[in-house]
Amino acid sequence: MLRRVVQAALVATALVAASGIARAQGSLNLYCSVQVEWCQAAANAFQRETGIRVSVSQKGSGEVLAQIRAEAQNPRGDLWFGGTGDPHLQAAEENLSAEYRSAALDGLHDWAQKQARDSHYRTVGIYAGALGFGFNTELLARRNIAAPACWKDLLEPRFRNEIQMANPQSSGTAYVMIATIVQLMGEEQAFDYLKALHRNINAYPRQGTGPIKSVARGETGVSISFVHDAVTERLGGFPVGSAVPCEGSGYEVGSMSIIRGARNLRNAQRFYDWALTPAAQQLGAETKQFQTPSNRATPVPAEAPQMSQIRLIDYDFARYGASAERRRLIERWDREVNTLPR
Amino acid sequence: MRAAGLWSSLVALAAALLLPWYLTQDGIAAAPLAGLAWLADPDFGPAAGQVLAQGRWWLLPALLAPAAGLLAALLPIPRPARAALFLLTGGLGLGLLIAQGYAIGVQGWSTPWLEGLFGPMEDRQFGVGWGGALVPAALAVLLAAGLAGRGAFRGDAFTATVAVCIALAIAVFTAMPLVLLLGDAFRDAGGALAAGALFGRLADDRLWSLGCLAGAPRCGVVWNTALLGVLVGAGTTALGLAFALLVVRGRLRLGRPLRWLTVLPIVTPPFILGLGLILIFGRSGIVSLAASSLFGVELGRWIYGLPGVLLAQLFAFTPIAFLVLIGVVEGLSPTLEEASSTLRATPRDTFRTVTLPLLRPGLANAFLLGFVESMADFGNPIVLGGQFGVLATEIFFAVVGAQADAGRAATLSLVLLALALGAFFLQRRLTARKSYVSIGGKGDAGLAPPLPAGVRRLCLAVALPWAGLTVALYLLALSGGFVEIWGRDYTPTLRHMIKAFEISGGQLTGLAWNSVITTVTLAAISAPITAALGIVSAWLFSRARFAGRGALEFATMLTFAVPGTVIGVAYLRAFNLPPLELAGTGAIIVACFVFRNLPVGLRSGMAAMAQIDPSLDEASHTLGGGGADAFRRVVLPLLRPAIMAGLVYAFVRAMTTISAVIFLVTADTELATVFIVNRVINGDYGLAIAVAVVLIALMVVMLGLAQLLVGRRRIGRRAAVAPPIQPGGTVA
Amino acid sequence: MSRAAEVRFERVWKRFGAGNVAVRDVSFTVPAGTLCTLLGPSGCGKTTTLRMIAGLEYPSEGRVLIGGRDVSALPPAERDVSMVFQSYALFPHMTVLENVCYGLTVSRRPKREAMGAGRAALESVGLAGFEARLPSELSGGQQQRVAVARALVLEPSVLLFDEPLSNLDARLRRKMREEIRDLQQRLGVTVVYVTHDQAEALAISDKIIVMNQAVIAQEGTPRELYASPASAFVAGFVGEANRIPARLRRLDDVDAEVSIGEARLVLPHRGLPDGPAELALRPEAIALLGPADPAAMLEGAVSKAAYLGGVIEYTVATPLGEIFVVSSSAGSAPGAGDAVGLSFGRHGAALLPGSREAP
Repeated sequence: MLRRVVQAALVATALVAASGIARAQGSLNLYCSVQVEWCQAAANAFQRETGIRVSVSQKGSGEVLAQIRAEAQNPRGDLWFGGTGDPHLQAAEENLSAEYRSAALDGLHDWAQKQARDSHYRTVGIYAGALGFGFNTELLARRNIAAPACWKDLLEPRFRNEIQMANPQSSGTAYVMIATIVQLMGEEQAFDYLKALHRNINAYPRQGTGPIKSVARGETGVSISFVHDAVTERLGGFPVGSAVPCEGSGYEVGSMSIIRGARNLRNAQRFYDWALTPAAQQLGAETKQFQTPSNRATPVPAEAPQMSQIRLIDYDFARYGASAERRRLIERWDREVNTLPR
Repeated sequence: MRAAGLWSSLVALAAALLLPWYLTQDGIAAAPLAGLAWLADPDFGPAAGQVLAQGRWWLLPALLAPAAGLLAALLPIPRPARAALFLLTGGLGLGLLIAQGYAIGVQGWSTPWLEGLFGPMEDRQFGVGWGGALVPAALAVLLAAGLAGRGAFRGDAFTATVAVCIALAIAVFTAMPLVLLLGDAFRDAGGALAAGALFGRLADDRLWSLGCLAGAPRCGVVWNTALLGVLVGAGTTALGLAFALLVVRGRLRLGRPLRWLTVLPIVTPPFILGLGLILIFGRSGIVSLAASSLFGVELGRWIYGLPGVLLAQLFAFTPIAFLVLIGVVEGLSPTLEEASSTLRATPRDTFRTVTLPLLRPGLANAFLLGFVESMADFGNPIVLGGQFGVLATEIFFAVVGAQADAGRAATLSLVLLALALGAFFLQRRLTARKSYVSIGGKGDAGLAPPLPAGVRRLCLAVALPWAGLTVALYLLALSGGFVEIWGRDYTPTLRHMIKAFEISGGQLTGLAWNSVITTVTLAAISAPITAALGIVSAWLFSRARFAGRGALEFATMLTFAVPGTVIGVAYLRAFNLPPLELAGTGAIIVACFVFRNLPVGLRSGMAAMAQIDPSLDEASHTLGGGGADAFRRVVLPLLRPAIMAGLVYAFVRAMTTISAVIFLVTADTELATVFIVNRVINGDYGLAIAVAVVLIALMVVMLGLAQLLVGRRRIGRRAAVAPPIQPGGTVA
Repeated sequence: MSRAAEVRFERVWKRFGAGNVAVRDVSFTVPAGTLCTLLGPSGCGKTTTLRMIAGLEYPSEGRVLIGGRDVSALPPAERDVSMVFQSYALFPHMTVLENVCYGLTVSRRPKREAMGAGRAALESVGLAGFEARLPSELSGGQQQRVAVARALVLEPSVLLFDEPLSNLDARLRRKMREEIRDLQQRLGVTVVYVTHDQAEALAISDKIIVMNQAVIAQEGTPRELYASPASAFVAGFVGEANRIPARLRRLDDVDAEVSIGEARLVLPHRGLPDGPAELALRPEAIALLGPADPAAMLEGAVSKAAYLGGVIEYTVATPLGEIFVVSSSAGSAPGAGDAVGLSFGRHGAALLPGSREAP
């Protein structure tokens, strides 16, 4: 009778073990924080080209950071592709990512190289996107509201309960917005602005892309989002318009890092180099993601917001990407703004 | 006893000699070395090779203990001596192996004082693999054989083995993660133990503020959670009662369709209900658009927040209340009501003075079940919560938010656990004291009276619109997978389906293939394990008497009271480091499924066991059968319907779980529910719903198959009645 | 099947939790090849005692020996006993034959052999031809026989019965108990039989062990128990008994003169000292006489009379209290209110040694 118990146990163990253990040797575990289509296209293309089996796990940048932090002692992922630059900088600061200087570095735009320099080459920019407004043209027309053009427009009473921005406690996008306002106006005025804005906000969704999705579905009129996300929605068939604030705006540098202690380090480096080539960077546009690619040789898609025509502030990633400053600003926001009545 | 000791020693020895001790990242097939060299390899070698070739002396117990056990089994010594030897070798070997596992980790000694004791450690070790898992397991069986030999568990080796293995499993997979996690609540930000840390976090205004009563924008999340729980508990109980009364006493031919309707929410992946609600009641939803075009009324965003979450949870959990209450209503003895009517009570009086009071324990049960389910729910609040935070979502964002705070997550988990356990004990006290419903299975000659007309009208007025709303909700929500742009462009299309499940060039290139296949695989692996473990432990708890049974039973139930988010975090926390390095593998997800769904299987198993006369087991014992014979030949065949129900339930739960596994999935093991969540978060509703439709179809097929299988059973008079699939119906 | 074994309890205790003693310091011997009944009211510990023989419970203290072997810690499967349960415990999902063969199947006996033995056992209980039925398709008496056949097929050295007839009607009960007795005699097996029905116990036992409140109240042959109950409890439980106050004066080492009111009777004194005592008087040993009959030892008046066919049960009010009398209905019968005389002899009367402490 015991034999049967043991047999059953063996079979069960075998099944469990077999399901859990990666199969082939040439593999790469990719944590991916861009849209799933892009993740999948990049993985498929890389797999076709190299024969390395890529496993993709698509998660928001905050979740990926939490995960690699939890796994720091014993990392499971190899490479973290995409997502706002700040969490990547944080990971670099916390020694969660590995230093790597790709040969392709010289071919990148300055902002991408700066990201690498700031992090002591633990991360690199792969795309950039400007922060701006998205709005539902139909909804605004129905309610006879003019679209916003400047940061100050958002404070006007016509946008009462019409604006969404993400919650900076969980979203990198929202933090970029706060850092941008602070850099534009100085900290005290910036918080006065945020308090005033608070009255017009109807919700702070948890995810960075949440507000623009709400705009697209007509659940809210205006969102503070990355412009390229608004373009994606418009191409998806929704009545979404976008604008870059007239006072100037911040931007994100979508980044890529190799996770420290990666088990497939060689494959991760190979992907890293590949992801900086024009051919790989074009995949974004092919999957309807219109960020500006970081390789100078990559053609910028026509639909993408032209970075050269946008008034961008000189975003200080080194300062505002640091964990301590980040935590301080977010806590101040939570204390002073989030608790206000509307 | 001797046979059990012999076999377990043999298995342990074989595992120590042949199976790779450590977890091999790429599987056994990838062993790089030809011939027998792998036996001495530092990564692939079994315990024997590790000790002899790699100088890992601390694995010596893995060899010596089984050898000693074998010796004890083979030597001609008296029974008590043999039992004592089994006990000693099994216990000592197991203890030493566990100790070395925790003492030597990925960076050598795990604590400085060990280094002081033994000198510096150059070596390091990763998590245990097949060998490292099987040897201790077999030693546990050896220990059990020893216990049985000393007269514990009625001297039955099988019972002893089952008890020891279940105790170990519960300790490892339920107690340890929770204890570790909750320990975090007592650590400050630096990770040092500080009792004050808990109170600091507990005193947080964000938890307990009652500001919203005074006009502040929000109340503390604890109050939110409790309020939502009470509302959901009351609402689901009322709705469930209306449905149950109508189906059982309403003299309607609605029973079958209503029962199927109640199955739907159980097989629905999370978020789909929330999406349907947005589609109907959202700002651009059907109702809102109609209101604004017909009446010029802007309904706005009311759905985001308490109303939306409440509505979604009512839809999701009413079936559970219904399933609980229909059992209770059917179990009412009509004789009592007939007695009342012969005492000159009008139908109305009878209903008010006899029927309802008799239902009271069932109502309490349903209410508290709704309360607990609502507190543990993660999917609905995250889609519809808006600014309305509840503990389950707060915990999630405390872990993944921009400021990850494990201590806060642990503290919130502690609060949630306290609430859930409080409800659980309240329910136990309420229903244990007075259960009026007999499950003796004795025939009752009475005829149930029809509902009083007024009550019937009330039930109809509540139930029918709700049923209609449910159907509309599902039709609309599921249609989202087959239209161009959900909520905007209703041109029919298979675009999303193709995107999710495309097959091109013989390859599964669709986006959802990977996750759906993983989900089905893991669910299919975990369901039999869950059902088996549930039945075995139900048998153990209801038939065997041993010290600590009550504690073990309670520990088993813990995972039901604990919300999934807490379990997920706890698992990640407990199984990321050696020796049990399960994070990132399918095994951790399987373990999570198994131990999270175990309580339900256990409860329904125990309910079914209660209907099997213990003298059947005893008859088997006195006829020379051991515990294993009684279990396999007598209990199992009689429990077949319960096993089938447990199997299906475990499978369905595994297919639809989200909160517990969201932290456990990795690239290799992404689950369909997590895929759906991410699509929803990105606004890809079409894709999300397309995948959900496929999942629902799969589960309905499963349920149908199960019905067919159960239908063909041969059972005599004393047979157990097939319990309906009751998610915790009998539990909490 | 002559491997009948002796069953022996040596100072056995059984406690369930603290303070709940089910069996208190019990010792007895059931000689090999005899039928011994454990008799007592519900909750007296008789079933627990039986289950300790079976191995379904383990003694908290003391030893259980079967055939001279200490089995105190052995599981049921290793004890060579079989048991017939009160509820029969037939496996509802198995056919009659599968049920009967169960013990052989789990002992890994060859199937053909098991089937053969099963059929033979069914035949021996008169159920040939019922092999393929399910237990639910049998009557109560048939189920009972299947349970017996199932226990017999293993040829155990000890056969245990736990109130096997309690679910049967009165007529069937009498028939079945005769069958069980025949079977035991035929096979020469040791049988331990639990019942609360004293008539059943008296009818079939070689030896009866009367238990009360976790201890043995008395053990002996049916005749011993009936003729010389050791206590009021035994007197009242084994048959009916009137308890009458009396005075005792020893005559010699054995006998004593007992005064009941005016009447005198010589009975074994059973170790009682001179002085007040209590007498157990069997109702059927009392003769009902006419009023003022010179043979009358007691005078009284009938307060109730119940006609039961063959006999009439009287309640007679006497100066010593109400006395219960069973008398043949043949001949003339006094009615309620009639004055009667009562007489009784040595037979059917016994002094109760335990009477002073018994309730």
